[in-house]
Amino acid sequence: MLAVTGLCKSFSGKPALENVSFEVERGEIHGLLGHNGAGKSTTLGIILGMVEPDRGEARIGGISVQRDHAEALRQVGAIFESPAFYDYLSGWENLRILSTYSGKFNERATREIVARVGLMKHIKQKVGTYSHGMRQRLALAQALLPEPKVLLLDEPTDGLDPEGIKWFRDFILTLREERGMTVLFNSHLLAEVEQMCDRVTILREGKLVHEGTLETLQDEAPVYEVTLDPWDEARDFLELNGTQILGPGRIALPPDADPAIIIAALVGSGIRVSAFAPVRRSLEDLYLEITARPVKDEPLPFLHAP
Amino acid sequence: MTFLRQLKGELRKLFGRRRTYIGYGVFLVMELLILFVFKLERSQRAMRELVERNGLGFDDYYSSLTITYWIMGFSMFLLGSIYFALVAGDIVAKEAEDGNLRLVLARPVSRLRILLLKYAAIAIYTVTFVIFVGITGYAMSVAALGWDGGLFVWNYEMKVFAVFPTRGEGIARLTMAALAIGASMVTLSSIAFMFSCFRMKPAAATIMALSVLFVDFVLLRFPFFRPYEEYFVTWRMSCWVYLLENTISWPKIAMSYAFLLGLNATLFLVGYTAFRLRDFKT
Repeated sequence: MLAVTGLCKSFSGKPALENVSFEVERGEIHGLLGHNGAGKSTTLGIILGMVEPDRGEARIGGISVQRDHAEALRQVGAIFESPAFYDYLSGWENLRILSTYSGKFNERATREIVARVGLMKHIKQKVGTYSHGMRQRLALAQALLPEPKVLLLDEPTDGLDPEGIKWFRDFILTLREERGMTVLFNSHLLAEVEQMCDRVTILREGKLVHEGTLETLQDEAPVYEVTLDPWDEARDFLELNGTQILGPGRIALPPDADPAIIIAALVGSGIRVSAFAPVRRSLEDLYLEITARPVKDEPLPFLHAP
Repeated sequence: MTFLRQLKGELRKLFGRRRTYIGYGVFLVMELLILFVFKLERSQRAMRELVERNGLGFDDYYSSLTITYWIMGFSMFLLGSIYFALVAGDIVAKEAEDGNLRLVLARPVSRLRILLLKYAAIAIYTVTFVIFVGITGYAMSVAALGWDGGLFVWNYEMKVFAVFPTRGEGIARLTMAALAIGASMVTLSSIAFMFSCFRMKPAAATIMALSVLFVDFVLLRFPFFRPYEEYFVTWRMSCWVYLLENTISWPKIAMSYAFLLGLNATLFLVGYTAFRLRDFKT
């Protein structure tokens, strides 16, 4: 449904994106992660045609944004962090004006969406009087008005209270269920991403460092909690075999390593193995693990199977 | 139809802002001030000399029509340029700065269409504003001096001197002049609009536009540049006054407005190119 291929972009000679490619399937909620300046907003900007890539292209529903901008964007609704509406106009007027850029203003459909996002009571008030949460609801309404197939969310829950975040999450999940909507979700709130997303793409300094499901992310860098005795000897042995020591009793095996073989080798070396259990890490753990490592030109060896 | 619907939205945005109306208020004050000055004895004396020196009766031409002519000329020269540059300088740059533009750019609409809408809105604002000044100026003048009297036109710079003894002809000429001033002022708005399309603050776009106009205006007053006056924007913009000559020289007027039209198209194109090449991102 959404694909970016070989995206490259530099700002004033400084690369912001380097050969980034990933795909989002129809009906999928896809998380786009990365630290500040990793290239997430640039990627979203390119998908929306707001940023011109130096190389590569973004396709929505098979239509190139760079070649047929209007046709590609006809299928998209977008929400930005701190959406900037016309504060001096009412929420209703904002929706009316914005919807004319996508087609005809449909009063009935607008009422339904406004009611659905829970803004009916305030829709005639000036947006300047809205709270951050209300603005986000209005942003959601304006994104849904053109009946999009793809929803692009750029830090949509930033600054929302926990109730607001939960409401937003439930709303997006319901949308996916009802309409089979495809969602690309850019956020710093990793717990949110973990709860919502089917797959994630992680960017680091403009480079793609991971794309896949959370499970593949776990598998690509399997971590085990081990009780080995003597530890010092075991550590030397493991390091020699390409295992990464994350801390006392915590190791990351190379992606192609078979834990059974390693256990046998350890036992064969006279090391007592009392425990050797895989650890299910949160997305936050995985993310921090990936982003804490130095960037190399080549993909990190333990993340990508040869 | 879609364009008109979108234009309506653009005008709603423009006229929904409080600062758009500041100009209207200030112009009303300005008109009152000019009217007050014309009521002063010394001003009347100067005008009497001018009218009578040309063999005309002061009472016939010290009229609401003549005062309206001065109001339109003075207020546009003194304040019009500032307000048009302010509003046109805002139209793209302010939305880009505030982030509103991202919501629009995320829609299936081309950048050319966005700029055409904004340009059309600015042109409509400029022309309607001049008409507003003309109507309110005339209304105030009528309230102060009554309906009677003809139109006396004198413009030293543009070498125009004309009289229109009947009210009907005077009103018709002033209406034409108001529309022409509006068209001239669109050029000023176009300059500010062009700068507004670049990556700069709204205030910078306004200042740049006013600077261009000011330099043009000052250079035109240098005796060395007089032979080249037709190449100056401010001179071309002043050609509306030729509509107030007793015998209108249409080719002269057509030439000036063709020049301004070409300039406006060029300014739009430069602005569009800058806008088209811009990346919009937080």
